[in-house]
Amino acid sequence: MIRKILFFFCCLFHFGLQAQDKTIILDKSTLDISYFPANFPLLKVQEKTTAPLQARLIYSRPAMNGRVVFGDLIAYDKIWRLGANEATEIEFYQDVSIANSRLKKGRYTLYAIPQASKWTILINKETDTWGSFRYNINKEVFKTDLPVEKITEVVEYFTMYFEATEKGMQLLMLWENAKVVLPIETSIKSK
Amino acid sequence: MLRTSILFIFLSAIMCCKRQEAQDISQRDIDTTVKFGQVNALVTIDQSPMDISYYPSDYPILKMNETGKEAPIARVIYSRPHKKGRKVFGTSSNCICVYGKEWRLGANEATEIEFFRDLSIAGKPIKAGRYVIYCIPFADRWSIILNTNLYTWGLHMDSTKDVFKIDLPVAEQKPALEDFTMVFNGKGDSVNLQIAWDQLTVSLPMVFQQQ
Repeated sequence: MIRKILFFFCCLFHFGLQAQDKTIILDKSTLDISYFPANFPLLKVQEKTTAPLQARLIYSRPAMNGRVVFGDLIAYDKIWRLGANEATEIEFYQDVSIANSRLKKGRYTLYAIPQASKWTILINKETDTWGSFRYNINKEVFKTDLPVEKITEVVEYFTMYFEATEKGMQLLMLWENAKVVLPIETSIKSK
Repeated sequence: MLRTSILFIFLSAIMCCKRQEAQDISQRDIDTTVKFGQVNALVTIDQSPMDISYYPSDYPILKMNETGKEAPIARVIYSRPHKKGRKVFGTSSNCICVYGKEWRLGANEATEIEFFRDLSIAGKPIKAGRYVIYCIPFADRWSIILNTNLYTWGLHMDSTKDVFKIDLPVAEQKPALEDFTMVFNGKGDSVNLQIAWDQLTVSLPMVFQQQ
């Protein structure tokens, strides 16, 4: 028992060191932003778009680094923060509709429960949080299952980006040999 | 039992330090060895990676460790260029940040600061919300500016949308920083946004309203 307690303190100590270093040392899993329309800030300064910004995703991008990702590094049937470090944040700048559920404009966190053939995508109203260690199911606002498509070219860095569709946009999620697509409908015509 | 426990905690502490050391080295290795732009066919990893700083510091971790945590007070989203042997500040146009010229306080997108409460800086009231924050550096002072032209790429600041400007003295940064860094320091509602790179640092003092 004492050993367990001491071990716990050592873990805390270790974690503390890591947290402290975050401001000084660059993170292994770098943060990135994806916009819809894609590359919105660049288009805006180049005056190539007059359409409004519709969505923004802020996430960290872990690398495979020679590891097996799904089923090992990312366990099946467990909530995953769809990235690393802070919970992944998705912001809609107008109301949207996903799988017939309406979501108000605003900031949300995005999670997945991966399985070999499908991912459950979760959207939650609890923002500015770390990982999925304290997932607050009371603030969950959306849940859907999406099929996993196997891709031939292995994706080293976890990658998420938006593409335009007839009904709005879709969010593509890719890592290792898995690809999952979340369709998002908006009332704004982007095509 | 006690002796084994003490030995265990001692060994664990050593291991923690060693692991941290190994990790630091491997992180630095990654910074220099990763061939940016060649490792991902879809969306490449940026040379100046993005980062978020919160106030209270490491807010998401605090929130994870504590239920019912009150809302965060501020956050800044910025990209972190590396010095890479270059001259950072100066009058020469070879410098990354040229005196008298606007600088996006980062790289890529304009740097975004979000205040989750109303606040004041040097007695001037500022509404809660999201702003672009940028800088015009001079040898002895930096002008720090808040602007409402959001979601833009940082090269072209639309100064007609400036809403706040303050001149702040420049201090020496020790140790010098390879990576551009922004971090909140503070106690309660009195907060400084420390902006630092190479051998220089500036502190933006903010007082947030009580909730």
